[in-house]
Amino acid sequence: MLKAVVGFITGIVFIGIVGWNMADVMMLREVESPYGVEETAARIQRNMQSLSANGWTLSGLRNPAKAVANSGMNVPPVLLVEGCSTKYSGPILKNDATRILSILMPCTITVYKKDNGKTYIGLMNAGLMGKMFGVGDIMAQVAKDQEIFITFDPKKPAPPLIKTSPGGGGGAGGKASDGC
Amino acid sequence: MLKFKYKGSLLALTFVLSIGMIWPVHANDAKAPEKAVVSGAVDVFGIAVDEQKKKSTADHSKFKELQVDFKDGPAVTKACISCHTEASKQLHKTKHWNWDYINADTKQHLGKKNVINNFCTSVPSNYKFCTACHIGYGWEDENFDFTAEEKVDCLVCHDTTGNYKKLPGLAGHPNYKTMEWPPHSGKFRAPTDLKQVAQAVGKTSRATCGACHFRGGGGDAVKHGDLDSSLTTPDRYLDVHMDAKGLDFSCSKCHTSDSHEVAGSRYQPTAVDDKGTLIRGSKEERNAATCVACHGNVPHFGEFAKMNEHTDKIACQTCHIPAYARGNKQTKMSWDWSTLGKMDDQGHAMKIKGSDGSVIYDSKKGDFTFDHYVVPEYQWFNGEVEFTLADTKIDPTKVVKINSFKGSYDDGKSRIWPTKVFRGKQMFDKGNNTLVVTSLSDDPETALWKNFDINKAVEYGMKYAGRDFSGEVGWVETEMSWPITHMVAPKEDVVECHQCHTENGRLAGIEGIYIPGTNTTPLLDKLGFIVAFLTLIGVLIHGAIRYFMHKRGG
Amino acid sequence: MAERIYIFKRFERFWHWSQALLIIFMMLTGFEVHGVYNIFGFKAATELHTIAAWTLVSLWVFAIFWHFTTGEWKQYIPTLEKVDAMLKFYLTGIFTDAPHPFKQTTVSKHNPLQRLAYLFVLAIINPLIWTTGWFYLFYGSWENWGFGWLSLEWVAFFHVIAAFMMLIFFIAHIYLATAGHTVTAHIKAMITGWEEVED
Repeated sequence: MLKAVVGFITGIVFIGIVGWNMADVMMLREVESPYGVEETAARIQRNMQSLSANGWTLSGLRNPAKAVANSGMNVPPVLLVEGCSTKYSGPILKNDATRILSILMPCTITVYKKDNGKTYIGLMNAGLMGKMFGVGDIMAQVAKDQEIFITFDPKKPAPPLIKTSPGGGGGAGGKASDGC
Repeated sequence: MLKFKYKGSLLALTFVLSIGMIWPVHANDAKAPEKAVVSGAVDVFGIAVDEQKKKSTADHSKFKELQVDFKDGPAVTKACISCHTEASKQLHKTKHWNWDYINADTKQHLGKKNVINNFCTSVPSNYKFCTACHIGYGWEDENFDFTAEEKVDCLVCHDTTGNYKKLPGLAGHPNYKTMEWPPHSGKFRAPTDLKQVAQAVGKTSRATCGACHFRGGGGDAVKHGDLDSSLTTPDRYLDVHMDAKGLDFSCSKCHTSDSHEVAGSRYQPTAVDDKGTLIRGSKEERNAATCVACHGNVPHFGEFAKMNEHTDKIACQTCHIPAYARGNKQTKMSWDWSTLGKMDDQGHAMKIKGSDGSVIYDSKKGDFTFDHYVVPEYQWFNGEVEFTLADTKIDPTKVVKINSFKGSYDDGKSRIWPTKVFRGKQMFDKGNNTLVVTSLSDDPETALWKNFDINKAVEYGMKYAGRDFSGEVGWVETEMSWPITHMVAPKEDVVECHQCHTENGRLAGIEGIYIPGTNTTPLLDKLGFIVAFLTLIGVLIHGAIRYFMHKRGG
Repeated sequence: MAERIYIFKRFERFWHWSQALLIIFMMLTGFEVHGVYNIFGFKAATELHTIAAWTLVSLWVFAIFWHFTTGEWKQYIPTLEKVDAMLKFYLTGIFTDAPHPFKQTTVSKHNPLQRLAYLFVLAIINPLIWTTGWFYLFYGSWENWGFGWLSLEWVAFFHVIAAFMMLIFFIAHIYLATAGHTVTAHIKAMITGWEEVED
């Protein structure tokens, strides 16, 4: 009996430790980009626009590094590319039980530079998040689209970075910063 | 090897929620309004004109000599030197005027008019264009009179209005007539109001020095990386000394001058200063524009005292400038001339812009790359710089160093410096294996930017410079180093310990220095941990035998 | 019939345990400074290691004073007498509950193997780790001390070697602490001061 209890507790602790250490790896993904911060962000924007058939529109571009600089500190460049698809956000927002997930909206992809000078893309693991919150089907689609957002065609020239959202964001948003 | 991963990882929900909670902090920052500059009467430079006037004992607008409608720049200078009788003579002795310099240590003949770099490469045959950044009027060819006092341009350094601009192509003059600028932009610049500018002269400022030094390489932020127009009115994060709302240093606070000779040099930089503070009145002949000249040899105290033990190997700048081009301006990182001349579908010269709006291809110049917030490359440096000059034989199969920073860990006079390394591919004389002078802008028949014929351009440039040319142009890869010394971050933003004290940290690859924490003794570590592990196994086995023997024995 | 003798005085016990904590902590932070893992962060690890070093220095000032005033330093005089018996005991006797070949007394509380081990610590590990550590700490003063020719690389190298030796000693020491007539006998003695010895 004692052995069983000890084993059980050890198992829980073990899984807890592993989970604790794996949480960031599972929930978030980091991918290296071959381009600079601006070009990476611009290419993601272009890819998002190419999926307008799935309802994607750009809903904003944020520069949190600038806010930090304005308060007098130095941080390496970060750009948050925000996009939204009412096709996916609609059903989530319609349901009282999942409406709280609006906290994850708009869909954000972060592009940033690290101390090694390289550019990285940070993504939310949409598929897993979806499963955790009971909207697995929708988020699986988002995950698929996300994959397309970060697949770049080096043959295409660098597109310009779009600093405000063209024609208003998706969903309820009108202005660049409103989002879904 | 033991490698523990320790991350401040958060559970998913907490993470998401906290993002949500932090969110409002950054909301709207993308369109945050530009902050107002210093209050009071502010000109375009961000300098409080009234305040400067109050401090001065002379109000130049009251001088009759300046209440004249000047026809050109030299006319203004004549008025200036009618009182400041020795000013031009002083300036005639400076690098700012001569663009000519002999390094007393290396005996190399340097100076802007002599060196060849990997930006626009060379001055001769392009004077009208290049001398927009000369402190004189009318240097358009070899026959310029360097003894003419009225040809010194006082205004470019002493302007306080921001309305005085010398435009490329005018050989150092501002425009006296209405002129389209930039060319083909459809925008027009009114004639320069010389009277207004002359009456408002004052001390030099970040803006006046920056008019040339921020725009080295032909445009804002292009060349240096640590000097660009974001330093005109910088915030504290960008440069703790020049912070417009804080210490508000002008360039001349550090780059002091005596008889118009300004302290500091890129031809003979002071890489190591261990002579302590330079006290007022000191007769020492040394560069006043070093960190040590104000901060002394032992600048850290309290919990940072350990940092004083880094200064024997590391320049102040290495820690205190964590990255350059932090002012949100893109600095040019590379320039490939070999791709110049591509035309658009209509056969016209073109410019292609990158994602951030900088030109990444120009038919006149080739391909560029840009970057900002750039982590420097680090090098040992003792202050001696050796240039590849016009007549230096090069090995075109290797990357040619336009300038090499001398120094090593064991010469006792070097420090590890942050540098911007600018990489290029540029024209050279394939027959003679030398770098070349190229006609870019002035000559209508041969100038590269008008004719797009590199052979003609180099041939003319070489002839103009009086150099031997084999007739064959090739492309060679080049590198040029620039010491990073401006854009000093606030102390809380210095390079942190672990950024160097880690495997593959910032100083990885720097020879001759032991940096704790960089995993430099893998063999010893392996051996040590194996022996420790075997000891552990040994005692465990011993213990196990004891346990079982004891049990069996009862 | 077991007899109880008072072997470890109060200061000695305090010294032992605080030193143990410091050494464990210094191994933990030290190997981080060396770059083996990342727990506190390099900066914090360095600072903590330094603080611990100074604490240990102060502790040793008292310990040296104590050893000389009490004459206890004699406990560390090495002897080869009965070393073979001790070795034989650890290799065979201990498994068959054979009698311990060494009898602890208050004037002779370390067995001959212990004396050799502590001699090794005192004569090899400590001088190495203390001098290299001292130089490491005062890197900025080498020039003034006339040691400008020293290289940090070698100072660090020997400091790390000594650290590994300490780690190995530490493992063996902990194990041998369980090798009393009961598993916890030595440990109890180090806590209470009283050791049970057989007649």
